[in-house]
Amino acid sequence: MFDKVWLIPIFPIIGVLVNGLLGRRFEKINKSIIHWVACGAVALSFIVTCILFFQMLGLPADQRLYEFTWFKWINSGVLHSYVAYQIDPLSMMMCLFVTGVGFLIHVYSIGYMSTEEGREYRFFTYLNLFMFAMINLVLANNYLLLFLGWEGVGLCSYLLIGFWFSEEANAIAGKKAFITNRIGDFGFILGLLLLYTSLGKHGIWTLQFSEVFTHVHLLSPQVATAVCLLLFVGCTAKSAQIPLYVWLPDAMAGPTPVSALIHAATMVTSGVYMVARSNILYSMSPFAMGVVATFGALTALFAASIGLVQNDIKKVLAYSTVSQLGYMFLGLGVGAYAAGMFHVLTHAFFKALLFLGSGAVIHSMHQGLHKVHSHADAQDMRNMGGLKSKTPITYVTFLIGTLAIAGIPGFSGFFSKDEILWKAYSSPHGHFLLWLIGAIAAGMTAFYMFRLVFMTFFNESRVPDGADEHLHECPKTMTVPLMVLAFFAAVAGYLGVPHALGGSNRIHHFLDPVMGIGPGKLLHKAGGTIAHGAHAAAEAVHGAGMHHAAEHGSMFAEYLLMAISVTIALLGIFLAYTMYIKKRDIPEKLANSYPFLYRLLLNKWYVDELYELTVIKPLHGFSVLLWKGVDVAIIDGIINGVARIVGWFSGVVRYIQSGYVQSYAVSVVLGTVVLVIYYFIRAIS
Amino acid sequence: MVAYHNLYLALAVVLFTIGAIGAITRRNAIVVFMCIEIMLGAVNLAFITFSRANQSVEGIFMVMFIMAVAAAEAAVGLAIFVLMYRKRGTINVESLNLMKW
Amino acid sequence: MELIILLLCGGLTIIASLLVIFTRNTVHSALWMVTSFFFMAVLYLLLRAEFIAILQIIVYAGAIMMFVIYAIMMLNLRQEEQGPVRKTKVVGVVLLLVLFLELMVVGVGRGLLAIKGPVTDQLMAKFGHVAVLSNFLFSDYVLPFELASILLTAGVVGAVVLAKQKSE
Repeated sequence: MFDKVWLIPIFPIIGVLVNGLLGRRFEKINKSIIHWVACGAVALSFIVTCILFFQMLGLPADQRLYEFTWFKWINSGVLHSYVAYQIDPLSMMMCLFVTGVGFLIHVYSIGYMSTEEGREYRFFTYLNLFMFAMINLVLANNYLLLFLGWEGVGLCSYLLIGFWFSEEANAIAGKKAFITNRIGDFGFILGLLLLYTSLGKHGIWTLQFSEVFTHVHLLSPQVATAVCLLLFVGCTAKSAQIPLYVWLPDAMAGPTPVSALIHAATMVTSGVYMVARSNILYSMSPFAMGVVATFGALTALFAASIGLVQNDIKKVLAYSTVSQLGYMFLGLGVGAYAAGMFHVLTHAFFKALLFLGSGAVIHSMHQGLHKVHSHADAQDMRNMGGLKSKTPITYVTFLIGTLAIAGIPGFSGFFSKDEILWKAYSSPHGHFLLWLIGAIAAGMTAFYMFRLVFMTFFNESRVPDGADEHLHECPKTMTVPLMVLAFFAAVAGYLGVPHALGGSNRIHHFLDPVMGIGPGKLLHKAGGTIAHGAHAAAEAVHGAGMHHAAEHGSMFAEYLLMAISVTIALLGIFLAYTMYIKKRDIPEKLANSYPFLYRLLLNKWYVDELYELTVIKPLHGFSVLLWKGVDVAIIDGIINGVARIVGWFSGVVRYIQSGYVQSYAVSVVLGTVVLVIYYFIRAIS
Repeated sequence: MVAYHNLYLALAVVLFTIGAIGAITRRNAIVVFMCIEIMLGAVNLAFITFSRANQSVEGIFMVMFIMAVAAAEAAVGLAIFVLMYRKRGTINVESLNLMKW
Repeated sequence: MELIILLLCGGLTIIASLLVIFTRNTVHSALWMVTSFFFMAVLYLLLRAEFIAILQIIVYAGAIMMFVIYAIMMLNLRQEEQGPVRKTKVVGVVLLLVLFLELMVVGVGRGLLAIKGPVTDQLMAKFGHVAVLSNFLFSDYVLPFELASILLTAGVVGAVVLAKQKSE
């Protein structure tokens, strides 16, 4: 049934058309039609994905690649681009959780947006449009279609962040997201163009993955490095790394399901997916991989430091997302592509869970505060407390998610994060410093996540104006997705239990063929003869790193690092417990003793202000200069100048019109004189 | 017989120039009109001369029709002058300057 | 003989025309105009165009100048108004003198066309000027003849309409 793969993107786009065009009518008739259409579309995509996934599992490991060409898209000179999809382990894995988590979030949105006044159909239309773009992104078999999805998710992000656009701050946040993404996309396009033309010099005009990766060894190392770095610029914007992460915290202005879907589970991971997909290209350039790893590690640490002191529940989660994305890039950068993708999977579950849980908390807080007509901030953790007894389901699921993200053994986050840290230390591309930064960030993660839990759910209620009597649990449409996600957040880790702990690391082997290693190299089949170059290098890297370490008893190092990270996590939890439950005056005392540091962290290291000063103001000044100096003065000046000249000329010529008959007669005489001269000259010559 | 056609033509040119100078110089509308008639007369003379020189009749017919036109023009023109005098109280052509810029 | 009459009448015509344009009194201008027409009629006679000469007297000196004098009488004009000499007029006069010179050179000095038509002196002597003219007028040139009559009608109607007093 592989050739029905086009069904997966088509269901959401049908949902967009139906809800977009008929949504207003549906709202008047019966609102649940909109919900059924939207959720049904995603559910159908999920079912088809499952069918294809299991069908693919039935094939032997080295044959799990199927490319389906739908139609020709661009046909211009040497550029021939097709809308074509690729079924292989990596794309199927991404598609599964994109549609699965997407479906759960669609269901959650029914309850969350039920308090919206009209225009609900717009939300579901945009959500379906986002699913369409994301599915195209992950299923694409060439860079151009991937880029189409890339841009599409950026657009939907803008639409959804600024969903409540009547508030100016939301519209500005949406704009910021879109523009920052565009800057990254500029780098991405440059990378694509460089890749295309460099391969084209050897006569290979294609952007199809299998073709590109078969021939990528033809590129010189400098070109490969340049391409990788330019593509990574796109990733820094889309996946919120330094320096273009600044849009993600502001994006929390959008509705919480949006934050969960787009900024936790799917869109921000598209950068990680892209790098993982291009692993063969990246393996050709150790320098680019180093850059990726360094940026990832630094981002992880940097964002975690900001999250330590934020008071808005969604902001904490936003910075946590940036930090976790840093981890994923760290994993990719040291060559552990499968580990990075594994963390994508587990992060999707527990981060979506955490965002949806926070949404449930905010929803309950809104209901309660609304009842007592209070205008307090429903998202500020200082207004929360004691919600453990009021909203038990939310509490339990949220706790599971927090345990996962903190890396407590047994939960999913532990396995994926730990593998990344191990590889950061042991891989030939890795380095002790990278591991150290990652470990410190892990400790900080545990600390601020448990700080969040303690401030929100524990102690006595700090909810103002007596609204705490009106707090209660959320509707079923919101709690059921929470429970499903909590289940996955708990067990998804068991897909990747490393050898050291006796597991078979299933997910790693599952993704191996895509990463070009192991006995079933997928691209061996696609390319025919693959020259040694990149492949041999990649093989050497992974082979040496993984099997070598596993077989030569460095398992001791692995156990040691595992123990250290668990200890750090527990330390973080203990510190949070002490500061927020036992001796609750410590945070304030710390803030007062180091006011400069506190303010620096609270204000996000003043990065936004720095950008404003160094980038935005000069650009703005330059634009004003172009406007006033070039457009108004020069261009308008030329046009107006021409008009003025014509006017001046007419002003001179008009004196001929004296209104005086005899002067007209004089001009007749003048004409006659001229004519006679003319005829005379003609006659004599 | 010696033909003096060139003299007739010279005479016609002189008359024409005199008429044109008068039409441009004088301010009284009726005098301007009379100068235009002088010009037409000069043209008539030229036509007759040519007709005689070429032994044809076209020149003579031309003159006849010019005369007819001059008569009609005189009638209408003088009616306009009367009208103008009624409106403005003067017959000075310099007073008709509404078309001035 | 012809030459003497030609020079005499030509000179008198020129003098009369000059007096037309240089006299201040409007009525005097009109009278000198009539004189000029008479002398031109004599010139036509010299050129053997008898019919035209008679027409000149009847139409020009008779009808048209009568119009002019009626108009002068109705408008009660005497002296012409004085005023500053405009620059345009000076330019115009200069240009006209240039034109005069040109025409003298071009028109008079170059000679005439040599294509001869059918109307010879003998023919005219045999039938008479009027008969010859009417022979051609009512056969070859009947269309302009008819159009001229329409034109004259239009002129009459136009003149009456324009000069009519508005009925109270």
